[in-house]
Amino acid sequence: MLIKINGKVYNGHDGETLMEVAKRNNINIPSLCYKKGFEGLGRCRLCLVEVNEGKRKKIVSACVYPIRENLEVITKTEDIIKMRKDIILLLLLRSPKNEYIQELAKEYKIVSPERYIQKENDDCILCGLCVTACEKLGTNAISMVNRGITKKVSTPYDDPSKDCIGCGACAEVCPTNAIKLDENNGIRTIWNRDFDLVKCSVCGKYYATEDSLNFIGDKLGSKEDHVCEYCKKKSLASKFKKSFQNIY
Amino acid sequence: MNDISNKRKILVCCGTGCLASNSYEVYESLKEKLEINPNIIVQIEIKATGCNGLCEKGPVVKIHPDDISYFKVSAKDVDEIIEKTITNGEIINRLLYFDTNQKKKIINHMDASFYKHQRKIALRNIGEIDPLSIEDYLERDGYKALHKVLFEMEPMEVIDEVEKSGLKGRGGAGFPTGTKWRTCSKFEDYPKYVICNGDEGDPGAFMDRSIMEGDPNTIIEGMIICGYSINSNKGYLYIRDEYELARKNMEFAIDKARKLGYLGENIIGSGFDFDLEIVRGGGAFVCGESSALMASIEGNVGEPRAKYIRSVEKGLWNMPTVLNNVETWANIPPIILNGANWFNKIGTENNSGTKVFSLVGKVKNTGLVEIPMGTKLSELVFDIGCGIIKNRPFKAVQTGGPSGGCIPKEYMDVPLDFDSLSKMGSMMGSGGVIVMDDTTCMVEIARYYMEFLSEESCGKCTTCREGIKMMLNILTNITEGRGQLEDIHILESLGKTIMSASLCALGKTAPNPVLTTIQYFRNEYMDHIVNHKCSAGVCKNLTTYFIEEETCIGCGICKKNCPVNAITGSLKEIHVIDEDICIKCGNCFTACPKDSVKIGGAAYAY
Repeated sequence: MLIKINGKVYNGHDGETLMEVAKRNNINIPSLCYKKGFEGLGRCRLCLVEVNEGKRKKIVSACVYPIRENLEVITKTEDIIKMRKDIILLLLLRSPKNEYIQELAKEYKIVSPERYIQKENDDCILCGLCVTACEKLGTNAISMVNRGITKKVSTPYDDPSKDCIGCGACAEVCPTNAIKLDENNGIRTIWNRDFDLVKCSVCGKYYATEDSLNFIGDKLGSKEDHVCEYCKKKSLASKFKKSFQNIY
Repeated sequence: MNDISNKRKILVCCGTGCLASNSYEVYESLKEKLEINPNIIVQIEIKATGCNGLCEKGPVVKIHPDDISYFKVSAKDVDEIIEKTITNGEIINRLLYFDTNQKKKIINHMDASFYKHQRKIALRNIGEIDPLSIEDYLERDGYKALHKVLFEMEPMEVIDEVEKSGLKGRGGAGFPTGTKWRTCSKFEDYPKYVICNGDEGDPGAFMDRSIMEGDPNTIIEGMIICGYSINSNKGYLYIRDEYELARKNMEFAIDKARKLGYLGENIIGSGFDFDLEIVRGGGAFVCGESSALMASIEGNVGEPRAKYIRSVEKGLWNMPTVLNNVETWANIPPIILNGANWFNKIGTENNSGTKVFSLVGKVKNTGLVEIPMGTKLSELVFDIGCGIIKNRPFKAVQTGGPSGGCIPKEYMDVPLDFDSLSKMGSMMGSGGVIVMDDTTCMVEIARYYMEFLSEESCGKCTTCREGIKMMLNILTNITEGRGQLEDIHILESLGKTIMSASLCALGKTAPNPVLTTIQYFRNEYMDHIVNHKCSAGVCKNLTTYFIEEETCIGCGICKKNCPVNAITGSLKEIHVIDEDICIKCGNCFTACPKDSVKIGGAAYAY
């Protein structure tokens, strides 16, 4: 189906969200909680855009808005920029010391009023990407707990989770680098639990936790060699090279 | 000896309010003593009923056919009631209700100001039947609408009727019920679901509770009728876990209805199957939001989702779902039975029927009131509510629960309907009406609701969670004497962003209390910020009490009422309050017979 974004016509499929069409066509809609491959979460509210479906204009969040035939979208209006600024201000008040949020605030020229800056700094902006990553790639070890202003991401009862495999997918997707992941002497510490790391059989570097490798092995039904991503790519590349050499 | 004059029915209110005042003791004592009393030759039926609405004056005992209503009855009044009223037909004056508007005692409660303006549809059976008796419900035309639907109407005819009635959802948003059903009926995706939202969470609202406790069968009947019209065979009742009696009575009614063939397979021989299941709410205010409620039934965290795809298409477990609120369901059987035209004549154009309001706050009569849509707010507060407690000056009314708005006394003639309230910046919500007098600080009211919502927001989206938190911080600053003029502008600007950028209706309406109090009571905000004064005497940092020398008669009452001995002065001489000792409890202010105690501004800069 055809939709119009900022006056230009684009093609989209039934079931696609506005964000997916925009990303594919390199149209920038700011967002902190959108990750390609995951469904939209609609949490951070930065991806607000104005849509017109013939009846009336409304403000929607692009990451969860399903496209419809003849949809007209404007990604930037005065109102939208004002709202985005307010949202970034709110995030800045929550995480005044976070460098990623500070950068964003700088881009939008936002200075937070001194009087309202909160003493406690929380790097987590509750975008929910880590929870989604854990649900899709891991073991549902973390989730949103509490509600309202006390909401946070945690393991059950804040205890070290038995389910966590230390894969680090949560830390990987976090847009504000809020999840603490430490590695020391072959031990990875995350969510208050220590995990043994496994060495790559090729290069000898620690690269993944034993629990996460077992988890993947169980899922695939076969035990893979302990080779890190880097070495895997390297060996694949040399295989290619060899096969090309045989052709010519 | 079986004619009507020798038959008596005694109804004892056993709604939550009356139960808390030991009405069950009254019921049991009446039952026990009537059985053994040799003087009783008449036939007596005694029933424990649901809530009569005027909870404040409970326990309520009604005697038919004499039409005598007694209020504030306790177990020790039982002997006298039996001896005088039941045996000799005498009225006990002491137990009658005193109507402050009519300035007289009322024998039949239906003549009281509180009741005579009401028109009961959703609450029609409550107070008249034993909620645990399906026979009582059947006697008052119960399940007749279901019979009519299953044997005389096509599903589309049912939807037509509901649509024509103009019934709008009574849970808050006011979406047309018939349209909802029709849209859902068009999706050919099965199984479909019917849900009753019984997660009533607005502070001060208890109409849904009252219906579930007092007339559970009307909800069951309404839901089956919907199930038939949209081709669904399964319904869920999501009941707030704090409502134990509501859950118990609903459970009992469902079991009984199933036993009598009104639920389950082949309902009353019609070939239509429908069954109900109760789900206990998790205790979050936000689970009253339809999509959060469905997430909760599914066993997920109670967070709303964006509703760009409506739940009539993809609702519970992604299947087409109709969700209506308790009061909406209670309206369905009478609409089917009496027809859309009958319902349409009640209320106003575009706002047909009645609405139940829970009238609370600084008003003389508090309780549940069902009135035609479009009734003026002033009628509700002064004719039904009988005005303000102690006849203090009336200031404002807050409608629609924590995310409703405050309407000042200048607009008291606003008709109570969905459209008029929205125009005022407030909303119908579930029908909570909180009356405020001159001792209410409007800035503190706004702060209080932001505090409530900061805890009860689900916390999913930034604007609602962080926005409410920032508004709360600003309002706390103002009420504690640290406000600045720019704060008002920030509140207004941020409020607008929260309203348009939030994910669900809770966030979109959350700034209402702040924005309406700024709109209608800007002078109070200015008083707090510029003059450092809270004229209602609520914000402690911005209040001092002093005694006006000209009018003080030196009676010493203020001194006697001061808990911290901050007041000095001999009898018949002017009294003085020591600011340093005073804890600003306001006892002297309310106790002074000459109104000589005055409220001043802050003693210090904060």
